[in-house]
Amino acid sequence: MTLRVSRRNFVAGSAALLSLSALGTSAMAQETRLRLLWWGSQPRADRTNKVSELYKTKNAGTAITGEFLGWADYWPRLATQVAGRNAPDIIQMDYRYIVEYARRGALAPLESYMPSKLQLEDFDPAQIEGGKVDGHLYGVSLGANSAATVLNTVAFKEAGIDMPTQKTTWEEFGKIGAEMTKAGKRKGYFGFADGSGVEPALENYLRQRGKALYTADSKIAFGPEEATEWFDMWAKFREARACVTPDIQALYKDTIDTSPLTVGKAACDYAHSNQFVGYQAMVKDKLALTNYMRITPDSKGGHYRKPSMFFSVSAQSKVMDQAVDYVNFFVKNPDAAVILDVERGIPESKAMRDVVAAKLDETGKVPLAYVAGLGDLAGPLPPPPPTGAGEGTLILRNIAEQVAFGQLSPSDGGKQLVDEITRILARG
Amino acid sequence: MSNAMRTPAGAISVERYQGAVAEGRLKRLWNANAPGYLFLLPWLVGFFGLTLGPALISLYLSFTDFDMLQSPRWVGMANYVRIATADPKFSAAMHVTLTYVVFSVPFKLTFALLVAMALNRGLRGLPIYRAIFYLPSLLGGSVAIAVLWRQLFASDGLVNAALSHFGIEGPSWISHPNYSIYTLVALSVWQFGSPMIIFLAGLRQIPQDMYEAASLDGASKFRQFYKITLPLLTPVIFFNAVVQTIDAFKAFTPAFIISGGTGGPINSTLFYTLYLYQEAFGNFRMGYASALAWILVLIIAVFTAFSFLTSRYWVHYDD
Repeated sequence: MTLRVSRRNFVAGSAALLSLSALGTSAMAQETRLRLLWWGSQPRADRTNKVSELYKTKNAGTAITGEFLGWADYWPRLATQVAGRNAPDIIQMDYRYIVEYARRGALAPLESYMPSKLQLEDFDPAQIEGGKVDGHLYGVSLGANSAATVLNTVAFKEAGIDMPTQKTTWEEFGKIGAEMTKAGKRKGYFGFADGSGVEPALENYLRQRGKALYTADSKIAFGPEEATEWFDMWAKFREARACVTPDIQALYKDTIDTSPLTVGKAACDYAHSNQFVGYQAMVKDKLALTNYMRITPDSKGGHYRKPSMFFSVSAQSKVMDQAVDYVNFFVKNPDAAVILDVERGIPESKAMRDVVAAKLDETGKVPLAYVAGLGDLAGPLPPPPPTGAGEGTLILRNIAEQVAFGQLSPSDGGKQLVDEITRILARG
Repeated sequence: MSNAMRTPAGAISVERYQGAVAEGRLKRLWNANAPGYLFLLPWLVGFFGLTLGPALISLYLSFTDFDMLQSPRWVGMANYVRIATADPKFSAAMHVTLTYVVFSVPFKLTFALLVAMALNRGLRGLPIYRAIFYLPSLLGGSVAIAVLWRQLFASDGLVNAALSHFGIEGPSWISHPNYSIYTLVALSVWQFGSPMIIFLAGLRQIPQDMYEAASLDGASKFRQFYKITLPLLTPVIFFNAVVQTIDAFKAFTPAFIISGGTGGPINSTLFYTLYLYQEAFGNFRMGYASALAWILVLIIAVFTAFSFLTSRYWVHYDD
């Protein structure tokens, strides 16, 4: 058997193929193609796609393809695409990674587009600042939120225990938790989740003491004493059975569906306020938000309004103007704002905030009221975490687990935490 | 060249080939071989584009500092030096992986052999049993099964529910550092299907008359197993052991799903490949991860070579 393709046939076939592909390109030729990439769940994707549709109706000739992944899969995908010179035009960026991507030249600086194409006049200046690295604007914040304690109001009512308030101290919280566990209204139910490995919780604790996780020049901003005290406090909570046992806590995988609160193991957990909508969707009982506990009744709060996520434009984008225009539409168009709601946090634009606030349902109002009501509990935004901060999060969790399972003493844990984070930051 | 030209089609004789060259009619030869190349093309593209190419690039990257966003920077042996001298997580990952290999491979093979022998007795509906026992192997690598495993071995999972009938209060097997690796070993043993099928084929190869002769001589079942089955099965055991060991070194999915990618609690499920993945995609250290990958290649090569060298002392082929 032989396969013979004569030259004539070959030419004819190729021509046919070429003309076919030409058909495809000519149809697309007038269109600007925008590619979007973000992390999140299906509801977020639905909202985002709706905004893209809306944008398309107002900008004929623009094609938008959007793609989304879960948080854990998102970063590998983005890194690979950027490395392969195939980055999406618009990238959802997190506060944690913006420095890494900006310093490595993957993101386009946007300040030159202001105010002609990018109209952020009614943004809170501090939040615009949050999207800056080395003086350039690399990300437009899509919403604000703050770290928070999520409470199961029904569990508290059942047990006849008062919920923690804005004034509750960690010490009192420990007592509340122990009572809740002791009340035993639900099987295997504890007062609260073990927060010793939760980075925002530690950060809040440090900020109350006038320290921080990292300094602006990428160094560790706390010492072994603070870390030891932190682990010590949690060791006492564990002893008093105020919080869940370490093997229950170890099942938590940084997702809402694995949280001890969601799976019915604890009445309180720690989250970000924009996640409240997600928590309430998964828990039947009515939930509430409050701040993190205070170290002393008069200690200053350690909270801050955090830009929850950004839209950044890829430095590789060939349609940068259009991309910036889309981002501006996303944060400044009233119809888009209504579609987006507070799912990505509370809109940064005051005008959009007003638009959204008028249409919020009961669940959506909770995070809005929470962030608005932080008052003096909210301090300045810390500098974006340095390169290696992502690893720091894992280290905290790892050492907190070692302390919880009794493999390390709180003081050894404190020392080791500071040592390891220092080492990682030095390596960069 | 001549070999490469001839092999794919495999249909042309040497004489004809030489004749063709002599007559300068390579073109005709090409026509004759074209289908061969065409059929080979997907494999060739796959092998060079997806296996050999990336492997060589990763070898190069292993001598660089590469964060995937900027171009790689040559650092010589620095990555390897760090692995050898200054990486506690490397030793943690190595420890976890070796534990996994040492426990999962022998248990899995023993279990597979036992089931194969049970199935070898000529049951009615044998194909159905084979399919059922093989099923976990097909599903086993999947995310769904790892998720199911989480449900089974959680503190309020099915396993502990069963234990509680006997008055035992079990821990959360998958989230306690002392036990979590063994739940993964159990998961791997449960996926005994593919070595089982191979054992079954091996058992079928053993001539029945040997057993008949042995039982006429009054050999007990155990003695028959020990003196006939096992020695004659050694080539199959050897094959299974090598394949399963390599597989065990490369295990990734279950640990990734069950620990949510963290390798926790406390690095107790930090498989080597999981650590490699974390370094590459979590911490943007592609160069370092490439070095880790090549160390793994080396380790697997050493293990495999060791198996082959020792095999002549215990593997019996028909003489």
